[in-house]
Amino acid sequence: MKRSSKIMSVLLSALMASGILTACSSGSTTTTTAAATTTAAATTTAAETTTAAETTKAEETTKAAETTKAAETTKADDTSSSGTLNYTGEITLMHFSTSEESQGNGGSDGFRTVIAQWEKDHPDIKLNQTVLANDDYKTQIATQAAAGDLPDVFLLQGMNTKAWAAQGLIMDMTDIIKSSPYYSEYNQNYFTPFTDNDKLYGLPALTGGTCTVVVYDKNAWKEAGYDAFPTSWDDVKTADEYFKSNGYKETMAFGNGGQWQINSDFLSVIGDRYTGSDWFQSLVDKTGAAFTDDEFVKALTFTKDIFASGIFNDDFNTVTNEDAREYYISGESPAFIGGNWDVSYIGATLKESNEDLYNNTGFAVLPQPSDATGSTNTQNIGLGYAVSLNSKLADDQDKQAAAVDFAEYVTGPEFSNYVATNYALSGLTKVENVDLSAFDQFTQDFYNYSYVDTDTCEIYDSYVSSAVWSVLNTDLQTMLNGDMTPEDVAKAAQEAYTANY
Amino acid sequence: MLSRKPKAITFLVYLVIPILLYVFVVFFPLLTSLFYSLFEWKGGPNKTFIGSANYTQLIHDSVFWSAFRNNLYLVFLCLIGQVGIAFIFVMIINTRYIKLKGMHRTFGFFPSTIAAVSIGFIWTMIYDSRRGLLNWFLEKIGRADLQQVWLNNSKLVMTLVSIPLIWQYIGYYMIIMLSATAAIDTEILESADLDGANAFQTAVHVVLPMIKSTIMVCIVLCVSGNMKAFDNIYVMTKGGPGNASMVMAMYGYKISFEQQNMGYGSAISVGIFVLGIAVIGAMQLLQRAVSKEEVI
Repeated sequence: MKRSSKIMSVLLSALMASGILTACSSGSTTTTTAAATTTAAATTTAAETTTAAETTKAEETTKAAETTKAAETTKADDTSSSGTLNYTGEITLMHFSTSEESQGNGGSDGFRTVIAQWEKDHPDIKLNQTVLANDDYKTQIATQAAAGDLPDVFLLQGMNTKAWAAQGLIMDMTDIIKSSPYYSEYNQNYFTPFTDNDKLYGLPALTGGTCTVVVYDKNAWKEAGYDAFPTSWDDVKTADEYFKSNGYKETMAFGNGGQWQINSDFLSVIGDRYTGSDWFQSLVDKTGAAFTDDEFVKALTFTKDIFASGIFNDDFNTVTNEDAREYYISGESPAFIGGNWDVSYIGATLKESNEDLYNNTGFAVLPQPSDATGSTNTQNIGLGYAVSLNSKLADDQDKQAAAVDFAEYVTGPEFSNYVATNYALSGLTKVENVDLSAFDQFTQDFYNYSYVDTDTCEIYDSYVSSAVWSVLNTDLQTMLNGDMTPEDVAKAAQEAYTANY
Repeated sequence: MLSRKPKAITFLVYLVIPILLYVFVVFFPLLTSLFYSLFEWKGGPNKTFIGSANYTQLIHDSVFWSAFRNNLYLVFLCLIGQVGIAFIFVMIINTRYIKLKGMHRTFGFFPSTIAAVSIGFIWTMIYDSRRGLLNWFLEKIGRADLQQVWLNNSKLVMTLVSIPLIWQYIGYYMIIMLSATAAIDTEILESADLDGANAFQTAVHVVLPMIKSTIMVCIVLCVSGNMKAFDNIYVMTKGGPGNASMVMAMYGYKISFEQQNMGYGSAISVGIFVLGIAVIGAMQLLQRAVSKEEVI
């Protein structure tokens, strides 16, 4: 009896330990997914990486030669512009390109690659890196900012620029950026989220990716009678009848379980269609625009109505974008609305599981609401983060010079060339003549959607203040459930805006 | 063995380490929160002293008070669910018809060892409207009309997020109460049996009075634990839809870190502390009143 109970207890404790272990591992998966969700950086998948590498192998020899040449010129430039770096010692760096994330994310992979290169080129300087998953990174950096204890070099999120600049936490980099050896190659539009009163506070980093794209099944829509994705919502509603009677669960899949999706992946574009870009600029500059303005309330009303119309999955308010994109992948929905991070996941998954759908997936801008008067072909794209410097670096000129050299290098042509050749993505510096022929149709189409065929508008939550978006996003979720009117949502957002910005 | 009482100084030396630790991790943060709550502080080195303005805002903050109501509701459900069901389980396990008591105890305790985040994910899957166990079950029993997007129902969502919490902690309270019932002299139970008391009568009139003080400890643990509920609700709904499942700790977190309003966030945490003390105090008064009545 005693022995058997001993055996029993050993067995049970083993079971328990394994239970704890499973709990741990699922916990850590959570963090990574959460990171993937919120990262506004462009993502491409592991699968794509390898094929992209294979396809480009032929050219690699020639390209490699070019890159080395480019690198050499760069280095020559460096020496002439800032002189050799006199600093020896440590620089602290914090970012969120974890090795897990770089497994398929072009931006992360590129960023890690150029950091490693810079480190190799400067053996006297020790880069002390803290790398966290995106969600943790945002909490950690906000806490360190609150404590006035930022690392020397870190990634600044657009919406924190004004608040942190006002606190004197981040360095005014206007002159540094203007005298950068790559200044003429910079895409100037990308600087706006990191600008406060004409002063620049960072070098936009990682890759430019859209936050709003309609991913659709070309064949399914062709069968429904649409050669291309409809440009009006009325057509989508008509198509909805066809799809529902042909075995689809819904016409559009969307996930707003995290509350930010409706803002980043929908309202930011729909709002622009109603208000035009001047309204948002005025909101950012505090020159009179308000959330309670008629045009914005109309955009809210439209959002409420279209989500109540039944064309979306009925659980859109509880599932996340990661769940909703599975509805597209599994063929339950003929279309999905998401961001570039969803596109890379969908691409990678379909390539493995459903090559037909992979080859027939198209990309489109959101259709135009019938009473909207703004531009029709817009999507919101930008670089969500910038490499920024701690203002305390000014005390040590040599150290500052080293940090500046680092910031310019990791956002410069070295990075842009890497992500352009390997992933068909674009960074801060322009890359002329990206050779798309090396990539498949899916990647080419998405490149053209992101950088060529569409007009751009701003990503709302790259600006203003997290306090405003947190209030608006929560109320939007309530509104989509029918428990709040668009007018009240606008009023609450305006109150948060006056109180916090 | 102890022939004489240790000197007072020996007590002090042993006590000083845990007390210092406690002061450092509990009192010190509490006092700094109290200090910061008097400032407008949006992160960074600049703070503006604004006196009690954060508290005035807190008193008028409808989201905070609805979060407090949600906490009270959670406490109410968990008192019935965790402590109540645990007591029933204890009574069942203690009957002579149950075999393998040790196994029941261990497996009952299992959910308490799982991370709250994992529990949140498991139950999110159960509630999932398309692939979830609950809707699947309803379909199997022919009640597809009852199917819905569970976590999007703002009236039900607080109950739905409490269920995983109840499920998780039944075993925890069960273990505490089992150890208390083990201390009851078996002769008492046997004589109750001989006197013809049925299981219900034994539970209410014999066991319950004898483990009363343990149950009170369980109630205090349950109340204080649920006043600071956070993790599994955060995973399941993030307080949504809207603010329908917002609890106080999550609101404090949201204000402090998502909205980077550290000053007001500190005021909220002081508010949580005060309300938590008040609720536990009220519970103890209630218990005292109840036990006095019994004496009379």
